[in-house]
Amino acid sequence: MIELLRVPSLLTVQDSGRSGYRKLGVPVSGYMDDYSARIANHLVGNPGNAPLLEFLLMGPTLRFNASAVFAVAGDVDVKLNGAPVEPWASYWAKRGDVLEIGTLRSGLYGYIAFAGGIKCEPLLGSCSTYAKAGLGRPLKAGDVLNLGYAILTGKEGCRLPEELRPDYSAEEITVGVVLGPDLDHFTEEGVRMFLSEAYTITPESDRMGYRLDGRAIEHSEKGAGIVTSPLVPGTVQVPPNGKPIVMMRDAQTTGGYARIGVVASAHLHRLAQLRPGFKVRFREMSVEDARNEFLKKEKTLEAIRLFLGGRLRAYRIKAGEKSFIALAGNV
Amino acid sequence: MGETMNLKPLGDSALLISFGEVIDEETNDRVHALAGAIEKAGFEWLVEVVPSYSSLAVIYDAKLIDFEGVRQAIERIEFSAEKFEGRLVEIPVLYGGKYGPDLEFVAEYNGLTPEEVIEIHSRPIYRVYFLGFLPGFAYLGRMDERIATPRLEKPRLKVPAGSVGIAGKQTGWYAIESPGGWRIIGRTPLRLFNPSKEQSTLVQPGDRVKFVPIGEDEFEELYKAEWGHEND
Repeated sequence: MIELLRVPSLLTVQDSGRSGYRKLGVPVSGYMDDYSARIANHLVGNPGNAPLLEFLLMGPTLRFNASAVFAVAGDVDVKLNGAPVEPWASYWAKRGDVLEIGTLRSGLYGYIAFAGGIKCEPLLGSCSTYAKAGLGRPLKAGDVLNLGYAILTGKEGCRLPEELRPDYSAEEITVGVVLGPDLDHFTEEGVRMFLSEAYTITPESDRMGYRLDGRAIEHSEKGAGIVTSPLVPGTVQVPPNGKPIVMMRDAQTTGGYARIGVVASAHLHRLAQLRPGFKVRFREMSVEDARNEFLKKEKTLEAIRLFLGGRLRAYRIKAGEKSFIALAGNV
Repeated sequence: MGETMNLKPLGDSALLISFGEVIDEETNDRVHALAGAIEKAGFEWLVEVVPSYSSLAVIYDAKLIDFEGVRQAIERIEFSAEKFEGRLVEIPVLYGGKYGPDLEFVAEYNGLTPEEVIEIHSRPIYRVYFLGFLPGFAYLGRMDERIATPRLEKPRLKVPAGSVGIAGKQTGWYAIESPGGWRIIGRTPLRLFNPSKEQSTLVQPGDRVKFVPIGEDEFEELYKAEWGHEND
């Protein structure tokens, strides 16, 4: 059991999200950065989709009312009873221990995973928070969370090698995008603009969508409006003002603005971690290449899971200033 | 029926099937008939199907299949729109008063009496084209234009769940409490979205809906049965 002592910013329970209810208008939701969240879970021996805490920018302070194994994912200072401990590593906390998490130095979302996961009654098949529809609510100081059982799992002392930790410090990133389905609503010049300009994340961005600013994307004579049609997270809609909006995890299930493209699902977590003021560029990608990126990311996460479970070994390869990590073994 | 069906990627994990950019019942029948056929086909890679007016998204597990594979599977599916028929769902509504604060305005705006607005609004059988925007929100067709009324200039910060309203030529409801600019003409005591139930929405895509005017006593009775407490 853990008790939240201080909650300075948006703090929610998330897992991999809801599926099967979009036709009722229920968004997918789930962790914004699946890469970090899944690694946080693997660090404590959980399956990747176990419910965990997601914080926006500023981490909470919490007290363990029973012993538990935890791990924090993010570029952030972590203190256990006032003594610094590492993020991207798992630790054993005793009853009464206080965990204090600072402000992210880079990125937007951080994660705290507990062995056994956060215990919750799934609503529509998921513990992900979507407060608008009464599916959970943001957490506040004083809330108490129960943890699930972790008998055989919950290994402390797992650590993710630095080379494998995601780096969200870049002020400009490029993500792949599969063009369409509404390309006929844009001029050739409009599409060229979208694929060549850098677009800035505006402060009007949240778990629902990231509004971007930059040179306006020109619509064709068909205009910005479409007959309302489905959206998925990563869809880039372009409203009449020509400034793109990237739909995120809590996005509505359907929308009425022309869709110029959809961000490659393997790249969406990097966009999710991009701070307001930072820039993104879109690079055209075929649907096959985008899927290959997705399969590559899944493979990497699986290798990390096996490594953290002690089934693969890490070998550091130095190449001049840079070092790489290779995970290898018989599985 | 495949000749006017257009299949495109919607990113790397979804395929969009479009029957053209139209809003009509015949096309929407095809959308729901095909959605049902895909759901029934038992594809192991299928995550879910999301229908809308004239298009549907097929969400798939990209670990198990690629776009081309999904496309071929969809093209082989046989479906008949003629057989498609949704349920008829009756939705009791208490019109006017504190539950329908804009009924008078809608009447005045259109040169009608409130009773005439209620009559015009509750007479037709509306099609649920699909659900979207927010959980349990239904895109309904078609409202009688004699009661069309523009949205509020300043949206309300809180519209209670169950509120039934008009926005331009559209009618619909607030399945969950939210801010909103629709002209509210009444409220249903039924829960349009209940996340703790597996069958979480009162209506399903493709259903048909009839609003049934009720009195205050019936509203309170139904409300208590549905929500488990008195309305406040």
